[in-house]
Amino acid sequence: MRNLRLIARLDIKGPNLIKGIHLEGLRVIGSPSEHALRYYQQGADELIYMDCVASLYGRNHLADIVSSAVKDIFVPMTVGGGIRSVEDATQILRAGADKVAVNTAAVANPGLITRIAHRFGSQCMVLSIEAKQTGPERWEVYTDNGRERTGLDVIEWAKSGVELGAGEVLLTSVDKEGTRKGFDCALVKAVTAEVSVPVIASGGMGKPYDLLAVVNEGHADAVAMADILHYQRATIGDIRAVARGAGFGVRGFTHVAH
Amino acid sequence: MKRNLIELYKLPAEVKFCKKCTVSNQRPRITFDEQGVCSACNFAEHKRQHIDWVTREAELVDLCNRFRKGNGEYDVIVPCSGGKDGGFVAHQLKYRYGMNPLAVTWAPLKATAIGRQNLDAFIASGFNHILGTPNPVVTKRLTHLAFKHLGDPFQPFIYGQTNFPLHTAVKHNVRLIVYGENGEVEYGGDMKNANKPTRDIQDHDKHYFSGIPPEFWKEHGVSLADLYPFMAPRYEQILDNQTEIHFFSYYKFWDPQENFYYCKENTGFMPNPERSQGTYSKYASLDDQIDGFHYYLSYIKFGIGRATSDAAHEIRDGKITREEGVALVKRYDHEFPTRYYKEFLEFCSITDAEVHEVIDSWRSDHIWKHEAGEWKLRHAVWRGYHA
Repeated sequence: MRNLRLIARLDIKGPNLIKGIHLEGLRVIGSPSEHALRYYQQGADELIYMDCVASLYGRNHLADIVSSAVKDIFVPMTVGGGIRSVEDATQILRAGADKVAVNTAAVANPGLITRIAHRFGSQCMVLSIEAKQTGPERWEVYTDNGRERTGLDVIEWAKSGVELGAGEVLLTSVDKEGTRKGFDCALVKAVTAEVSVPVIASGGMGKPYDLLAVVNEGHADAVAMADILHYQRATIGDIRAVARGAGFGVRGFTHVAH
Repeated sequence: MKRNLIELYKLPAEVKFCKKCTVSNQRPRITFDEQGVCSACNFAEHKRQHIDWVTREAELVDLCNRFRKGNGEYDVIVPCSGGKDGGFVAHQLKYRYGMNPLAVTWAPLKATAIGRQNLDAFIASGFNHILGTPNPVVTKRLTHLAFKHLGDPFQPFIYGQTNFPLHTAVKHNVRLIVYGENGEVEYGGDMKNANKPTRDIQDHDKHYFSGIPPEFWKEHGVSLADLYPFMAPRYEQILDNQTEIHFFSYYKFWDPQENFYYCKENTGFMPNPERSQGTYSKYASLDDQIDGFHYYLSYIKFGIGRATSDAAHEIRDGKITREEGVALVKRYDHEFPTRYYKEFLEFCSITDAEVHEVIDSWRSDHIWKHEAGEWKLRHAVWRGYHA
């Protein structure tokens, strides 16, 4: 039986939870804390917070949001966006995050992956990859919330990131993100086939059944969901039921005590 | 050669930035109130608080009823590049308001692959469509001349974009032309039409051609025959046809980002795979390899680059905070459009040295200073910004 983690993803810009299509046209959705609490209460296994303008300011703004979230939310939190140094990671982890996700800074300075992994352990170092298809079975790594090309090949980059110490990969398909057309299963499969660490598939989940293909064919260890939750197309309970019905191992969950 | 921009564009000699957005008083025709807020920000507030959009939609329905022919002929011309804005207008008019539109596109100076793909997807979503393509030899010549003499390589495109729909209207006996937004009102400019649905054809020279219509280029040896596709129909023809130009933004709340969502859903629109140079956006103005130089020259002339304009309207639309807007301007506004530079040089038959000579001729002393071998903005919205 395949085990599957259901992760709610919250992209944050300034004070707001936001959502785009292909990481573009970022709509203001509402308050990050209200949404995070709702997903926790619905039974999310983990939360991912992404500060998607952090690289613009050169710093992560999420420490405050995270330190207030940990008072009510008791599932693992991954926080990414603008983490450029071990000190930045330390600050985010002190605020209460369990893992840090690094994309732009890791591309610019791959040694950062190793330094964070040495300091806090690989389980804490998530390599975030924004992948855009450039040809058959070929994807390019993007940075800056899907705005800048890097010329790096996604599969090669995932492999070297794991060798450098990343303990998990958050794999976002820019092509599918926000489209509600299902995950990029070929992308997820291509990466899971090459790395030994867990891979979180992100981008494209429009309905609960979309997770079947990405788990069965793509061998994703976890799915990150945003649009489907933010626009209330389904609850995590609905999604959990579909996952369980498909025979995936999901966490037993009834409700969160208030 | 040095040009007097203050005189040419009637610019204030003292640069000031809007207190709410990122634009400055150097945008031609924009006005600032006593509180230091620009006309576009005031209009953005006005349209949210004081315009009754239910009444305005009823006016749109009336307009459509007035112009719907029901005899199979086209009811309305919709100028549209295949992008999110024209796509939204055309699709709404046809599928929501039951009009029979003819979509018309004036060919980009030099099309991008993504622009063509979006135009094809738009047409395929269910439209009759006409593409106007002028002789590329003439287009290149005009682009060269416009860049050299006006500091704007995009002017030939603007001619066609403005005048080709008029020709099509006259030719097909269509009285109504509907454009997307009134840029003068939404982005800052002449506010005389803020509460009017129509645009005056008499304003075209001033608002769209910087006072220099296509006929002007006869002086530079371009023949009337070559200029003809860029020129407006004869004025009597426009009047005889009883042509009216309306702005969709008068009738329906205009939000470019929501147009992106609409066209993603309805007309197969795809944003660019990467952001456009000079700004952060991936979904606006992405069909022409030359337009980056239009925005860059605006940065040189007025200190207002593409990121300034994009950020300003996204702040007004509540999509981003001013702090983010200011940071975006600082990061992207100055960026030179290198991606298509080779194509630009070839298209205009111009050398790199000539380009920089033209650029420097448009640097006004009230905007720029030359310091330690470098051009620097005297005033920037991000300088001294504390938030």
